[in-house]
Amino acid sequence: MPVVDVDPDELRYLTGRDGKDDDELKSDLFDLGLEFEGWTEDDEFQLEFAPDRLDRLSVEGVARSLRYHYGDDRGVYVPNTNSPEWTIRVEDQPAGRPYVTGAVVRGLDLSDGALESLIQLQEKLHATMGRKRAKGAIGVHDLTMLKGTDLRPTDGESDTPDLTGGQDPTEASEEPPDELVGDAAVEPVGANAITYASADPDEAAFVPLESDAEMTPNEVIRNHATGQAYGDLVADFDRVPAIYDAIGLFSFPPVINGRRTEVAEDSRDLFIELTGTDQWTIDHMCSIVCYALEARGGTIERVNVEYADDAPGEYAGKTLERPDFGTRTKTVSKDRIESLLGVDLEPEEIIDYAERAGLDAKRVVTDGGVAFEVEIPPYRVDVIHPLDIVDDIGRALGFNSLEPTYPDVSTVGGRHDRSVLEDAARDTLVGLGFEDLLNFHMTNEAENFERMGLSPPGATEPASGDNSEPDDSLVGLVEPVTIQEPYSEDYTILRTWALPSLLMVLENNTHRRYPQDLAEIGLAARLDDSENTGVAEHRTVAGALARTDASYENVKARLQAIAEAFGKDLETPATAHPTFIDGRAADIVLDGETVGVIGEVHPAVLLNHDLELPVAAFEFRLDALA
Amino acid sequence: MKRPQAQVAVLQAADPDESRRIDDVAEAAKLKPETATRAAFELGDDGLLAVTEEPVEQYTLTDEGTQYVFESLPEQDLYEATIDAGADEGPVGMGQVIGASGLDGGAVDIALSNYARKGYGEIGSGEITADPDAKPGQDPEMYALEAVADDRIDEADPDALAQLERRGLLDVREETVRSVQLTEDGVAALEAGVEAAETVDQLTAELLTSGEWEDVEFTEYNVEADAEDVSHGTEHILRQTANRVKDTLVGMGFREMEGPHVDAQFWINDCLFMPQDHPARTHWDQFALEQPDEITALPEDLLDRVRSAHREGVGPDGEGYHSPWEEDVARGLDLRGHTTSLSMRYLSGHRTHGPEAGSSESGSADPAIGELEPPQRFFSVEKVYRNDTLDPTHLLEFFQIEGWVMAEALSVRDLMGTFTEFYEQFGITDLEFKPHYNPYTEPSFELFGTHPETGAVVEVGNSGIFREEVLSPLGVDCDVMAWGLSLERLLMLMYGFEDIRDVHGTLCDLELLRTTEVLH
Repeated sequence: MPVVDVDPDELRYLTGRDGKDDDELKSDLFDLGLEFEGWTEDDEFQLEFAPDRLDRLSVEGVARSLRYHYGDDRGVYVPNTNSPEWTIRVEDQPAGRPYVTGAVVRGLDLSDGALESLIQLQEKLHATMGRKRAKGAIGVHDLTMLKGTDLRPTDGESDTPDLTGGQDPTEASEEPPDELVGDAAVEPVGANAITYASADPDEAAFVPLESDAEMTPNEVIRNHATGQAYGDLVADFDRVPAIYDAIGLFSFPPVINGRRTEVAEDSRDLFIELTGTDQWTIDHMCSIVCYALEARGGTIERVNVEYADDAPGEYAGKTLERPDFGTRTKTVSKDRIESLLGVDLEPEEIIDYAERAGLDAKRVVTDGGVAFEVEIPPYRVDVIHPLDIVDDIGRALGFNSLEPTYPDVSTVGGRHDRSVLEDAARDTLVGLGFEDLLNFHMTNEAENFERMGLSPPGATEPASGDNSEPDDSLVGLVEPVTIQEPYSEDYTILRTWALPSLLMVLENNTHRRYPQDLAEIGLAARLDDSENTGVAEHRTVAGALARTDASYENVKARLQAIAEAFGKDLETPATAHPTFIDGRAADIVLDGETVGVIGEVHPAVLLNHDLELPVAAFEFRLDALA
Repeated sequence: MKRPQAQVAVLQAADPDESRRIDDVAEAAKLKPETATRAAFELGDDGLLAVTEEPVEQYTLTDEGTQYVFESLPEQDLYEATIDAGADEGPVGMGQVIGASGLDGGAVDIALSNYARKGYGEIGSGEITADPDAKPGQDPEMYALEAVADDRIDEADPDALAQLERRGLLDVREETVRSVQLTEDGVAALEAGVEAAETVDQLTAELLTSGEWEDVEFTEYNVEADAEDVSHGTEHILRQTANRVKDTLVGMGFREMEGPHVDAQFWINDCLFMPQDHPARTHWDQFALEQPDEITALPEDLLDRVRSAHREGVGPDGEGYHSPWEEDVARGLDLRGHTTSLSMRYLSGHRTHGPEAGSSESGSADPAIGELEPPQRFFSVEKVYRNDTLDPTHLLEFFQIEGWVMAEALSVRDLMGTFTEFYEQFGITDLEFKPHYNPYTEPSFELFGTHPETGAVVEVGNSGIFREEVLSPLGVDCDVMAWGLSLERLLMLMYGFEDIRDVHGTLCDLELLRTTEVLH
């Protein structure tokens, strides 16, 4: 669950509720689903919340939600935006990261925590919606440090920036050709451009953040801490994402920005760019950032995103104006709202609840009866279906104010056959004095095979000339299900039998009173091509007697009792199994089918488990008792 | 007068003129001391004997003490070595003396500290001197030690005995010694004549069938004494809790589900409308399999509908996720992270086992399952797997209680009513529903309840109504509400366990399992 750090003073300032003390704020936040987890070192609230409302990843967003909660704001709010003066030209950008968006925000005061809040929002959005920058990454730049390429047509001069960098900034715009001065004064719109393109990772160079030296992208990936953290994202790229202005390369998304455009508390005008693998995602991340900065007093200015005709991605040849604060509309029927919430509501109430949730609702009549067209602001990335609106209405109404009802629906209950059989077998084992156990299904090859005296299947190549199939008749000795990139070497496979688990329990309880007669009925699994999942899972019944008089006869007596209880005919023809003493092991044959093994555990296996007394044991398939 | 044999023997062995120790009486009566004691008390109760008790100190040498009796005290050895080294003339090096003394290990420290205490000489700055006037040969502690060994305790010096106890060479235990003396009634009874009644220990088949049992007296037992330990089997406490949950749910009209632990991400995540780039789908949270790594078949039509729900959403105003969706990812096999995969298989009407479990033509493995018509209630209490850090409250494998209700027009109030009813069966009341977010349900609630013992408000589950993006691809066109919680959490709430590892898994403590009180 995401955690956001929020300064309670900022919250009071941004909500205009100076009188709220910390406890009142915490309680109000809890009502919104933001739980106070503790204080940060800087005396800020640490708030945890479910990962749907990503617009609440900053103090500005939390304050906005509180204002709606208090009723100080109602309905959809869309900030004004000014016409674009800047253009992001997109050409020759990497196909693996084809999309870009951006915005200009002017007139900010980033002192007193505002910059920290922006950085936190950027990082939290990276972690969540941006999928650790893979899907979307945000770069924030000091606009005054950017030198736009002049987009106005010139005679005989290319309007393409010099992508190798190093262009003399004085050439581009400070001394424009005389004949265009008049036009520029009349039409400044879109006069400046930066370019989202790609770069040779060994040739392009810039000074990255937190560095004094000029580095190439590959040097950043190798030597810079941030580069080492995020370099994997572009590891497969021949040419890496790169953003240029008239001076040269200034950003290497999604890894790191250049130092030249670094934002400080005294930065007033910002250029925000986002790159990613999905236009919708970065556009909405951009909207969330812009809403937060607008709440800080910034003025939003749109930028043109101009995709070249041959640019990769679905927007080739198109120009987008961003940020796009366009609202979406979803229609939900009155019936659906009422049936899901289980209450009857007047249309005015529904409209009221919607507005309190920061939405606008309009009553309409459709073929299906009364419905509401609900307008959704752009920062609400979690609303992707009309159902999500019903949830907002329920929250505004207060779910806990609803009276629980027991559904008037009649059904007949029952246990699954398998679990009934399992319980019956367990009762029999317990009646015979076994302590019923419950062990992990995950284990490792050493416990499952080697410490039981078995060689893991496939561990040794069969001797030449021996082309026999793997010996399926040995209980436990089958191909195990293996886990990818195991987190712990103790848990690398699913167990193929349960007896190893019982011996591990004996090993861990040698300080406890004997006799220790243990049993378990649980899952065992093996590879099996004939199954849909490629795995045959079965329940296995294992029992072990650890006592000074444990013997084959003792344990067989109990097996006989089980067979008798389930009306099964038991035979125990001699067999050889490395876990057991030669000459004291037998197959378990129930009603003519071989289903398990029984015997006295081999001294070597006992010593492997630090046991100093005999153990006699059995294991067989549960379904043999059906 | 007829008395049991033991009582007769004790009466005859007791003396009217002096109090005799029970042990002596037992020996004279040829009885085991405990038998004689029991008989004495019974005679005492009838006023034939006077039984008196007095505390007596019993001295026993420890192993170390016994060793010194046969050898000598370490400080004596040390003194001998210092004299040999000429330390009575002047200080000599400590190392040299200790080497010569043959002492090693802990004996060196013992020797040094007692040497100084007894004034055999002085020890300091790595040197040692010997007092030529010391007389280790007449050491009172050694004398006391030998006195205890020879049972001549009276000759030992009490201070020396106390010192021996402090040195751990002597165990002093206080014991109660009982003595008996014949009373006047006892003397009178003996004079009148006391005969031994025939007593039997064990009732036998022969006694019963012959009718002899009518003429014998049964030996009285000390019925208050502890008997030997008998081990008994118990059902594992977590199984007991699981079965209680199952019984409760069956009683509420729920049927049990069953299905694979290893399953395709399709059934575990994609059907649940979890975006494929969702952070919880990485192997850091779920166990992906190395072998096998892919399901053999998925139902094509369902696959198409699920893909479409992810990419385009469901319904005219549905958007879907702006995330990539690849069939390869859906085919990957995991250990299930929740049993909701079973719910998906059941709701889709697809069978859960066998080679055709993935194809849409196969129908259902469980003849009862097929296209489900509302109303339905289903549950399972089965294991799930999470790639989490093992700690006192988190395991890599745990049991999830999962339940769902399918019906027309279910509301959040129905959900609240069902769960209120369920939790009340376990003493958890005052349920609160905190609005929450899950990718697969809307609305969603975290459930909080009041702990029956502590009164604390604790989280007891997660719930919600399945989204249309989940139900529509499965072909379900009514409402389904579902909830889940961890069985271990319920167990810990009910029993107050603090470390779940004591209970579940191979690190379990057998003693805890054996002695946990049965809840009923």
